[in-house]
Amino acid sequence: MAHIKVVRRSMRPEEWTDLRFGWLKRHIYDEKWEIENLLIRDARQVDEMQFEYYSDDYRPLKKGDMYFTPDGTAFIKADVNIPDELKGKQLWFSLKTAAEICVQVNGKYIGGVDPNRERMLLSPYVDVNDTLYFEMMGYNRSKPDDERNPESLSVRGCRQVFEGAYICTVNDDVQSLVYDFELLLDIAKSELFNEDYRNFLNKELNNAMNFIDFESEELTGVKDAAQYIEDVIYANDTYKGSGDVALVAHSHLDIAYYWRKIHAVQKNLRTVLIQLRLMDKYPEFRYAHTQPYVYETLEKYYPEVFEELKEKVAKGQFEPVGAMYVEPDCNVPGAESLIRQCLYGQQTYKRMFGKRVNNAWLPDVFGNSWILPQILRKSGVDYFVSNKMSTWNDTNRFPHNNFIWRGIDGSDVYACVPPTHFITWNMPSQIQENWEAYIDKDSGGQTLNMFGYGDGGSGCTEEMIEMMRRFHKLSIMPKCTHTSGAEFLEKNLKDNKSLQVWDGELYLEMHRGTFTTKSHMKRANRRIENKFRTAEMLCLMRGEDKNELIKELYKKFLVTQFHDILPGSHIHPVYEDAMKDYAEVEKALDVIIGTGSRYFNTLNRERKALTFVKNKNGTATRYGEKGNWIIPNMKALSSAKLRKKDFKGEWFNVNGNTIETPFYIAKLNNDGSLASLYDKELSREWVKGDFNKLKIYVDCPGNYDAWDILPNYREKEICVEVKDPLNICESDGESVTFAVMLGTEKSAWEMKIRFFRRSRSIEVENNVDWNEKHKLAKAEFDCNILTRKALCDTSAGFIERETHRNTTWQQARFETCHHKWCDMSESGGGIALVNDGKYGVGFLDNSMSLSLLRATERPDVTSDIGKHSFCYMIVPHQGDAVTADINGIAHEYNIPLVKADCEWSLPVFEPLYMQAAKRSEDGTMTVIRLSEQDGKRGQIKLPQKVKLLNMLEDIEGETDTIEYKPFEIITIGI
Amino acid sequence: MEKYVREILAPKLQGDGGWVEFVSLRNGELTLVFRGECSKCLILHRCTDWIEQEIKRDLKKTVKVNAIRKRPYFQDV
Repeated sequence: MAHIKVVRRSMRPEEWTDLRFGWLKRHIYDEKWEIENLLIRDARQVDEMQFEYYSDDYRPLKKGDMYFTPDGTAFIKADVNIPDELKGKQLWFSLKTAAEICVQVNGKYIGGVDPNRERMLLSPYVDVNDTLYFEMMGYNRSKPDDERNPESLSVRGCRQVFEGAYICTVNDDVQSLVYDFELLLDIAKSELFNEDYRNFLNKELNNAMNFIDFESEELTGVKDAAQYIEDVIYANDTYKGSGDVALVAHSHLDIAYYWRKIHAVQKNLRTVLIQLRLMDKYPEFRYAHTQPYVYETLEKYYPEVFEELKEKVAKGQFEPVGAMYVEPDCNVPGAESLIRQCLYGQQTYKRMFGKRVNNAWLPDVFGNSWILPQILRKSGVDYFVSNKMSTWNDTNRFPHNNFIWRGIDGSDVYACVPPTHFITWNMPSQIQENWEAYIDKDSGGQTLNMFGYGDGGSGCTEEMIEMMRRFHKLSIMPKCTHTSGAEFLEKNLKDNKSLQVWDGELYLEMHRGTFTTKSHMKRANRRIENKFRTAEMLCLMRGEDKNELIKELYKKFLVTQFHDILPGSHIHPVYEDAMKDYAEVEKALDVIIGTGSRYFNTLNRERKALTFVKNKNGTATRYGEKGNWIIPNMKALSSAKLRKKDFKGEWFNVNGNTIETPFYIAKLNNDGSLASLYDKELSREWVKGDFNKLKIYVDCPGNYDAWDILPNYREKEICVEVKDPLNICESDGESVTFAVMLGTEKSAWEMKIRFFRRSRSIEVENNVDWNEKHKLAKAEFDCNILTRKALCDTSAGFIERETHRNTTWQQARFETCHHKWCDMSESGGGIALVNDGKYGVGFLDNSMSLSLLRATERPDVTSDIGKHSFCYMIVPHQGDAVTADINGIAHEYNIPLVKADCEWSLPVFEPLYMQAAKRSEDGTMTVIRLSEQDGKRGQIKLPQKVKLLNMLEDIEGETDTIEYKPFEIITIGI
Repeated sequence: MEKYVREILAPKLQGDGGWVEFVSLRNGELTLVFRGECSKCLILHRCTDWIEQEIKRDLKKTVKVNAIRKRPYFQDV
């Protein structure tokens, strides 16, 4: 039977309502008076508050003119006498723009406009002479603040057409009715709501619209339409919704992303200003704002706005949230960095507002390390909020929203992973979606729905608050309560015995490329973290008070750990800024560290591993510098003069590509991989397949190029050719180095494989000229080991990860984050890989694959192109990773000896790792931070009593015996 | 011209997530490759007009920009 699909070509009633809704919106403004004497001056921001101007003076800006330039800031001004017909009326300033503009009138910051809002109230700022002096600073990005707002997307681009600026009056009745229709049409169009109710809405909204005569000179029937909605729609309680939703206003502000951090100063100003003005108008409005760093920029550059913010904080309307200095990446930074994020963040809030906050507010971070709960709890933080696992996981649905997160050491923190995105605009359909997605309905209390535009700030709008004022009139909606972040957390999570426990890392099943993208940044981050440790320790021993300088350097460094900086998901100028910051911080730390006549071992353990000591007369080479491989045999925190002991004997034999050393008989392939590694001491073979094999894969994850690695990367490999064959390039009494030049069509890859006389470790040095696009380079190790787990360093203890793919949870974790080392072991022995700045690693059965380099194109066209040098060490060992002291070996590998004439006079606190040794922030104590990293329990007897501190350096007790638990971080004051 | 594109224009476009590279200048036609956000910009012609104005102002030369867009594979639809 033939079937003809019926296509309706006539206008449906809902379309008729939509059409008239568009007409209604045209009547929001009663009167519009164009400001015709605007002047503009184009500029480009080159540093915080510094601009290069395109011209010496201002030029006229007329409706229809082009304005803004690529990466441009524009200064716009006008002197306006209010026209007689507008005098005495409530006046608004209106400017529809794709840019982000902060507006001053008569010297006072009155608000901001951007793609999400176009007007602000003027009347309170009119002077006695009815004059208005406008000063505006606008900055325009091709990528708008929020790509989720379609209106914002439609006007993207670095050159804009000026649509005019106006002083106007608003028809409050029309505006209110527009809000009613916005609200009700959103429900009517959403399949999340009851179909019968939506039919009812469609019918009654049409009826309401029928009251309005759009053909009359003056729009009539608006009040009647509003009354009809009140009497018929809002009064209807036949249709019952369910749910209990907490609405928390906030704005996500990426300090750098598609913009540089210098622009975040004004993005933050605009966001804060807009929220302050909403608070003026809506006394019930409360707003949560994160990142002490951006508060600092406001305080520094816009003190008058900051004072206003403080008043609103005192009134409870403006809520500082998030204890961390910025919203950092929570995978790559080490434990001490995360502690400093809390320490300096809390310190800043306390100084500004007289109080700390008890939550970590990290909506956008790309997964969270298992070490975080302990760090948060010991930094005065009881609550943790982070959204991405619920909405971005690509494989598994994260099973909780409101729950308890248990950390590596057993510390618990209350956690909220809200069911939906952190950027919403408070529409009923978004709230309903949140409730429906909420998993812990029976145990978690309310669900958290964040609202407010963001990414580059912006925040809430009048419309969002007007929606909230209407929600209670709709029986179909969940119960909605506008609250603060802290109140939501206290009310629903505190002492809630029904909460489920998640014991493990909060792995994000997405953005797995961020462990590897921008290789230089990762390596600099590791190196500088260790230099901070050294610098603070040396200052302490020398009695130098450099706390303020070090804090200033630390803060600059902590900003580079922001979750779109260190992970590599940013435009090229952000990378340049970060590398400049790294260079400045490192240079300053090197000056603090200084030099001396003796080598000092900053590790609080005996340094016994073979170590490369630079010496221009040395007989070995590493990273292009001469030196000698020496076993320092230096006790913990001690100094010594080091001398190379010449070894004249023959200690290795080479036959073709086979080498015999005191530890191994190794057969190398022409490409530098090992065909065999026979362990003479342990009488076993370590290789079962490709081992130390460089593989370069096609890496095409799509739009989230810098962020993601997809599991299909393994499907296609490109050819790596041997350009110069393997040969011995250097040998002395301690080391012998094979070198091979590998290459692709575009890249050159020198690999040096180094064997040692007195060390089981085998070092691989890589010097790469990398010119690929959409490739992922990995070093792969198929080990002759039967195991189902791998251990990974977290920087404060190790995490166990399964190497099989039995369930979707293991399948999703095909690429994970580790720190200095990873290890696969049987009970009799295993292999560790120790690195000096790599974080991405994958495990599959008996194979480890260390991610070395990526080549992504978005957001940075040239990401990772250029020269790279890095090393890793293959460490076959007896026993498991703990008995083989792999963590200690990794510390020795990453924390070099320093030249310093110092003496350590305190206990060495072995076997714990001394993570930091510094003067206390108040200068009254020596603070020592100790980290248990082997999963052991024990005690250390001390010669004297010490203070037990939290990570904010508050005194919590006193003891002469340190009792430690597995993976515990302990801070003491002496 | 190549230096001007690389040192003066490119950093500005990069600040907007865009990218521009000099290809050639022949008979007053300046061929530029646009990548990044520029490669998919709906109003790139406004930017190329601006580039022509900037070159005229700074280098006193009149050129016509020939824009070649190079989109990444995932935006090449």
